[in-house]
Amino acid sequence: MLLWFADPQWVIPNIIAPFIFTIAALILSRTVSGSYTWYAILGGAMMGMWGNTLYASGFAIEAERWWGTIEYTFATPSSLLHIIGGRSISNALMGLTNMLAILAIALIGFQTPLAVANFPGFILALVITILSVSALGLIFASAFVLTRQASVLTNGLELPLYIVSGSMFPIALLPFWTHPVALSLAPTWGIEAMRYASSQVQLGLTFWSDLGVMTLMSVAYVFIATILFRKVETRARMQGTMALV
Amino acid sequence: MHSELAVDAYNLRKVYNTTRGLLRRIRQEVVAVKDISFSVRRGELFGLVGPNGAGKTTTVKMLSTMLLPTSGTASVLSFDIVKDTKKIRERIGIVLGGERGLYTRVSAIDNLRYFADLYGVPPDVREKRIKQLLMFMGLSERARDRVETYSRGMKQRLHLAKGLINDPELIFMDEPTIGLDPEVARETRKMIKDLSKGGKTVFLTTHYMFEADELCDRVAVIRSGEIVALDTPSELKKYVMDTSVVEVEGFGITEQEVAEFKKIPEVISVSADFAENKQILRIQTPKGSEIISEVQSILRNARIYDLKIKEPTLEDAYLRLVAS
Repeated sequence: MLLWFADPQWVIPNIIAPFIFTIAALILSRTVSGSYTWYAILGGAMMGMWGNTLYASGFAIEAERWWGTIEYTFATPSSLLHIIGGRSISNALMGLTNMLAILAIALIGFQTPLAVANFPGFILALVITILSVSALGLIFASAFVLTRQASVLTNGLELPLYIVSGSMFPIALLPFWTHPVALSLAPTWGIEAMRYASSQVQLGLTFWSDLGVMTLMSVAYVFIATILFRKVETRARMQGTMALV
Repeated sequence: MHSELAVDAYNLRKVYNTTRGLLRRIRQEVVAVKDISFSVRRGELFGLVGPNGAGKTTTVKMLSTMLLPTSGTASVLSFDIVKDTKKIRERIGIVLGGERGLYTRVSAIDNLRYFADLYGVPPDVREKRIKQLLMFMGLSERARDRVETYSRGMKQRLHLAKGLINDPELIFMDEPTIGLDPEVARETRKMIKDLSKGGKTVFLTTHYMFEADELCDRVAVIRSGEIVALDTPSELKKYVMDTSVVEVEGFGITEQEVAEFKKIPEVISVSADFAENKQILRIQTPKGSEIISEVQSILRNARIYDLKIKEPTLEDAYLRLVAS
C-alpha cells in the first residue's frame, strides 16, 4: 500500500479516470429518462476496483521485476498466492474510496437524489463484490507471473470487465453472445445485487441468489487460482524466468 | 534429523532450454551446472568462486529454492530443496547484492517490515529485530528516509539487514561486495566475518580471490558448470606452489602485448588489470626470474614502473584451475 502511494502515477488510472467517467455519466444521465444514476456510480466504482486489482496483480509484478525484488519475495516462505491475493484485496478496497468520493460528487456536485432502499443489503453485496473482483484478479495474476508483458495484458483486460459486468450500462444492451461471458463473471452478479438492494427494501430471492452465485463463483476462482499458482511457481522455478524483465 | 551438514549436494544439474530464431525456432540446451557434488558444514564460511557464467548464481538459486534442478539432489539444513521448499525458506537468508532488490520509494524500516511479514516474523519480535539490525548496520539515523536517497554502501547494508530479518541459520550471499568502493567492501567483509563468528553458516560467491582467501574456511572453484577443486585456501594454493608470479606494473601495456605472453609455452596464465593510469600484469610461470628478459622484450614499448617476483596467491591457483 505504501509503495502504491509512493508512486504518484496511481492517481491517474485509479482516481482521475473513474471520476471523469462518473461525471460524464452523471451529466448524460440527466438528459435521459429513467434512473441511470446508479450505473454512473457503480460504473465509476467498478473502474476503481478492477483497475486497482489489475494494478496489484499485473503491473505490480512487472514493477517488482524492474526493481529486482521479485526473486526476494518469491524466495520467502509466503506463497505467491498469498502475497498477490493480499495486494489484490487491499487494492480493490482502495476502489471503495473511489466509490465514496464518487457518491460525494453525485450528492454535492450534481445534487443527485440517492437513496439506498436496503442499506445493510447494499453493503453486504458491496463487500462480497470487492472480494469477487479480487478473486477474479488472482486468476489473471498467475498469467502475469509467467509473462514478461504483464502491463500489456493488464491494459487489455481492464476495459472488457467494465463493459460486460453491467456496471456501466445494462447487459441487455450488449449483443446476445456476450451474455454468457457477462454471466460467467462473479462481479456481474454483485453489481446486480447492489442495484437490487438500492431499489428494493425487501431482499427477495433474486438478491440472495445473486449473492449466492457470486460467492460460489468467487470460491471457484480462488480454487482455480490456487492450482494455477502452484503450476506457475513450478514452471517459473524450472525455467528460471521469474526475474526476467 | 539434525545433520552436521548445512548443505549437501549430489550430482546437481541445471539445464536451461532456450530458443533461437523467429520463424524457424531452433531449440538449444544450455547446461549451466553439470552434476556438481559438495557439502558445507554448519557454521562454515564457504566460498564458491568462478568466472562469469561458471554457474555460481545458478547453484545459489537452486540451493535457495529459487530454481528447480534438472536432476540431482540437494538438502539444505536437512531439508530437500525440491520437496521441503517452505521449510528451507523459513531458515535461510538471501543477499544477492547489486543496486536492485530494494523498494527504493519507501524507507528502510518499511522495507524490513515488509520482508519480516513475508517471513512470518511475529510482530513482537519484528520491531525489536529491525531496530537491532538497523543499529548493527549503522542505518538507524536514516531508517525513515527513502532508500532512493541512500548511497551504494547504505543500500548494501540494507540488503544485509534484509537477509538477516528472519534470523536465518544459513545465509546465501551472491557477490555481496561487487561494485562497492574499497572502504564499504571492507566493512561488508567484516560484517560477513562477524556473522560467521556468531555461528551462522555463510555460503558466499565471489569474483575476488583475496576476499575468498580472507574470509572462507573452504573454497570450491567452479568452471563451466563443474567444480574443479574444493579445499581450504592454503591447500588450493599448493596447486601453484611449483610456480612463481611475475608481477609487472606499468603504463601503456596493450592487450596485444598481453596476448603475446600467453603464447610463451612456460607461461601458465596471465591476468591483466587495465586501469586508467596503470596496468598490472600477473604472469604465472614455473620459470620465475628466467622469464624477465622475455617480459622486457615484449613490453619494450611500454613504461615499466615495477617488476616483482611473488609467491603465488589463491588468485593464481584459481587462474590455473580455470585455465586448465
